[in-house]
Amino acid sequence: MKSPLIEVADLSIQSAGQTITEALSLTLQAGVPLTILGETGSGKSLLAQAIMGLLPDGLSCQGSIRIDGQLLGTSERQSLWGTRMTLLPQEPWHALDPTMRAAQQVVEVHRLVNRHSAARSRQLGQQQLTALGLQPASQQLPSQLSGGMAQRLAFAAATAAGATIILADEPTKGLDASRRDQLVRLLQQHIEQSSSDNPRGLLTITHDIEVARQLGGQIMVMKAGQLLESGPAEQLLVNPRSSYTRALIDAHPANWPVEQSRPTGLAAEADKTPLLQLRQASLRRSDKWLFQQLDLTLAAGEIIGLCGDSGSGKSSLADVLLELLPLNSGQLSWSASVPRQQRLKLYQDPPASFAEQLPLGQLLDDVIRLHRLNASRLPAMLESLALDPSLLQRPSSEVSGGELQRIALLRALLLQPRLLIADEPTSRLDPISARDVTLLMVRTLRRYQCASVLISHDEEQLRHSCDRVLKLANGTLCTLA
Amino acid sequence: MKRFYQALSASQWLGAIILLLLLLFALLEAALGSADPARQALSQRLLPPSGEYWLGTDQFGRSNLARLAQAVRLSLLLALLSVTTAALFGVVLGVLAGWRGGWIDRLLDMLVTTVLALPGLVLILLFAAIVPGSFVLLYIGIAVTLWVEYFRLVRAITRQRVHSPQLQSSAMLGFGYGYLFRRHIWPYLAGQVLTLMAFGGGASVLAMAATGFVYVGLKPPTAELGLMIVELFPFYAEAPWVLAQPMIALFLLVLGCNLLATRKP
Amino acid sequence: MKRMLLKRLLQLLLMAWSIGTLTFVLVRSLPGDMAYRIAAERYGDDAITNAAADAVRAELGLQLPAWQHYLNWLGELLQGNLGNSLVSGDPVIDSLQHQLGFTLALVLGGLLVSLLLALPIGLLAGWQRDRLADHVSLLLSTLIRAQPVFSVGLLLIFLLALNIHWLPVAGFGELKQLILPTLTLGISMAAVSSRIIRNSTASVISSPYYQFARIKGLSRWQTFCHHGGRNIAVPVVAYLGIQTVMLIEGVIMIESLFAWPGIGHALSHAIFARDVPMIQGSALLMGVLFVLINTAVDGLCLWLDPRGQAT
Repeated sequence: MKSPLIEVADLSIQSAGQTITEALSLTLQAGVPLTILGETGSGKSLLAQAIMGLLPDGLSCQGSIRIDGQLLGTSERQSLWGTRMTLLPQEPWHALDPTMRAAQQVVEVHRLVNRHSAARSRQLGQQQLTALGLQPASQQLPSQLSGGMAQRLAFAAATAAGATIILADEPTKGLDASRRDQLVRLLQQHIEQSSSDNPRGLLTITHDIEVARQLGGQIMVMKAGQLLESGPAEQLLVNPRSSYTRALIDAHPANWPVEQSRPTGLAAEADKTPLLQLRQASLRRSDKWLFQQLDLTLAAGEIIGLCGDSGSGKSSLADVLLELLPLNSGQLSWSASVPRQQRLKLYQDPPASFAEQLPLGQLLDDVIRLHRLNASRLPAMLESLALDPSLLQRPSSEVSGGELQRIALLRALLLQPRLLIADEPTSRLDPISARDVTLLMVRTLRRYQCASVLISHDEEQLRHSCDRVLKLANGTLCTLA
Repeated sequence: MKRFYQALSASQWLGAIILLLLLLFALLEAALGSADPARQALSQRLLPPSGEYWLGTDQFGRSNLARLAQAVRLSLLLALLSVTTAALFGVVLGVLAGWRGGWIDRLLDMLVTTVLALPGLVLILLFAAIVPGSFVLLYIGIAVTLWVEYFRLVRAITRQRVHSPQLQSSAMLGFGYGYLFRRHIWPYLAGQVLTLMAFGGGASVLAMAATGFVYVGLKPPTAELGLMIVELFPFYAEAPWVLAQPMIALFLLVLGCNLLATRKP
Repeated sequence: MKRMLLKRLLQLLLMAWSIGTLTFVLVRSLPGDMAYRIAAERYGDDAITNAAADAVRAELGLQLPAWQHYLNWLGELLQGNLGNSLVSGDPVIDSLQHQLGFTLALVLGGLLVSLLLALPIGLLAGWQRDRLADHVSLLLSTLIRAQPVFSVGLLLIFLLALNIHWLPVAGFGELKQLILPTLTLGISMAAVSSRIIRNSTASVISSPYYQFARIKGLSRWQTFCHHGGRNIAVPVVAYLGIQTVMLIEGVIMIESLFAWPGIGHALSHAIFARDVPMIQGSALLMGVLFVLINTAVDGLCLWLDPRGQAT
């Protein structure tokens, strides 16, 4: 039997005497994808960096790393970069040279590493780009590429010198569902071409359980630098042994509990008693129409989900509803006059919506004093949102994203809002707290009978939490079944 | 106490101490000093340091101690005046332009482009030329060149803050301009404006010395560092220690300001 | 490209207008006996008559109402008519032509010296970030930056001309005499630009794209040549635009220190003598030089950084 592509034994990573990841062993076999699943900060990226031999300064690792059966030191592994093994970057935009055109970033590898002639290098580079559908973008700069294109270009550049062992570090971070699936297919194609005289390997690191499911093969689950369990994908994802894996699986929107939705027929009712109506609305950004002649009706207390690819204009539509952006044409009308402070918004990045360095409690007090609200409701509200009152003594930088987003919700609820727009409120949270926050938020909003628009790039998440889901694509809104 | 110490980095503390010592020197000399910086005694030219003249005498037999202290007082006063004026105008107008936008912004932008169309020293020299030897025009010239930097910085930060989620959400919650400025804009400006002020202090000291050195700033017999250096230059061989004094004072003033302006890593 | 040139043209016009306006204020605020003093200098003390003084006044336009005088003044400026020196009576443009060569020699020499010093020091310090070479270069830079350019020049005079007698203290005409002034200018500028190069180098070599180039299979040297050079240069060249201010200010002080007969020297001399047309001419030429260097820097930036070309 041939030796495995990568064989890691008792690898641990230390920083200044402190252990970051505990001793861990793994084996990557040719043709079998290996996926390491875990939340951000669990040390899984460091693991990939240690295998590559590019740990940041100040970190060191112990244990043995064999590539193709050979026990290799750091500099020996570095000599395999590009030609035998390669690393797909987490943030492709940052990994591409910002001042070099797309094609050149691939062509130079053929020229400099494979030592082909200039003409041959150009030809090989163009072939690769064409195969990945990047031909039209070959003369563009990285900043002009979309996230998906940048990741495919990085894939082409990383493998141009012939590397067949690919380590992929969160390769789908920041991509929406369709682009994520596209990239996963690309990785699958790579591994499917593995054969005995061309052994190929794929080690993927991700927090997205959907990526792990699609790739199949072997899965290892990590949390806080520790290996929780490992096994074949189909078995582990159906019958997890650790409670953390269970929670991760449950956090996937497809597995969310079906919410007690409001009675059906509400949409029809909405036409009779609308809270607000948007008619024939058009909005332009620089020279591009985001949407034209758009109609939208929102009933009092109704919760709408709004999805769409990044750049489709869903955030701008939300800002129009809040009158933060003026329309180019069309009109927005309210059935009753609602004061400014009862039309509110929750932001994507929770810390960004609080003044820094001040205790959160003081910021809430500011609101209570400004509007002469009843402060005695606070303890009960904290409890219903599962928040510890001691959190309010800390500044926003010392509170986790999930808690902060719930405090932002609480601050909005103090004012008994009639309309609340939540713009990707959980996209920066880990999947488990994203689920908890979303479900809690929807339940609370129903109780307060506050009309809401939930924006997300994840359709499934919205389907499981909202009364109806709309999709903004190519400037028009359509209702999803 | 510990927090107070940690508010500045080591090099910032060094800068602050150098400036404080210079200030102390300049003020103590004014309070206790006996010699008149303008009193000449031609029989006592270029004396080395002694009990009577701690720092020796210059080419007219004037007390170097008294002259140096006067020059340092003058430099510090000018730096303080120009920097405060520039910062005040820069911050107020920068916030206005960044927040309001529109025609105010365009008008101020035009003004800034005009000031920036000339190197600072040329502008200061032209101001100084209007009334030769005038401290006030020198001050105006320096303040006019300095405020532009505050304006551009403050305008850029304000624009960015105005569109930030935290200011936007407070505005939606109903808070007024005062609260928005205090909570969401000023905390982001304060540190950078203070850094710029420390740098500006060094720049104004240098600018005044430069005008003195090319002989178009303050006029003799005023003791001004640049002027002292150019006047003492012919005596470098006879009395290098006399020439060294204003050079060292100038160096320490600017070094102090620059160190104070270094940012914490 | 077109936008950039238009912006620079606007800057040129604003510069000319502000110099014109300030020198107009200057000429209107000349003391009353100035005409007599000028006449005395031109025609000799014996020849001063009221008629001679009136002639000088008329030449300056002082008999006109202020607004008319101002329009005439700007009109002449726009036509490039800089007038005659009040001191010598010669056309300003003639002396400027003579001085420009000296200033350009100093500017180019200074830029060359600063490049030769800052480039190796900056690259080394960036490469050795937070190690000895970096700390030494930071210390030297801090010490030099805390001094006005003329102090740096004076120290060089002590060191090289007075103690070792290698070089002449002042004067002009020989190449040897260019060395001290250009060295002064170059060292002062390198003190700042070496740190800019250091910062840029340090940030480029620790950037993800620099690391990714190695992962693609490029060697260290290939990575530096193909991904280091251009990316390090972009912010450095952009900073050159800001440093032009330092360059022009340095020229004024250095020319005065070394009695170098360039435009800066002419400017400070003219201010001292209250020779308004000469002030205007030399300040204007300084400003033109400033705008031209800035334009060249802009062009260089556009050529280096393809991101600017797209917009």
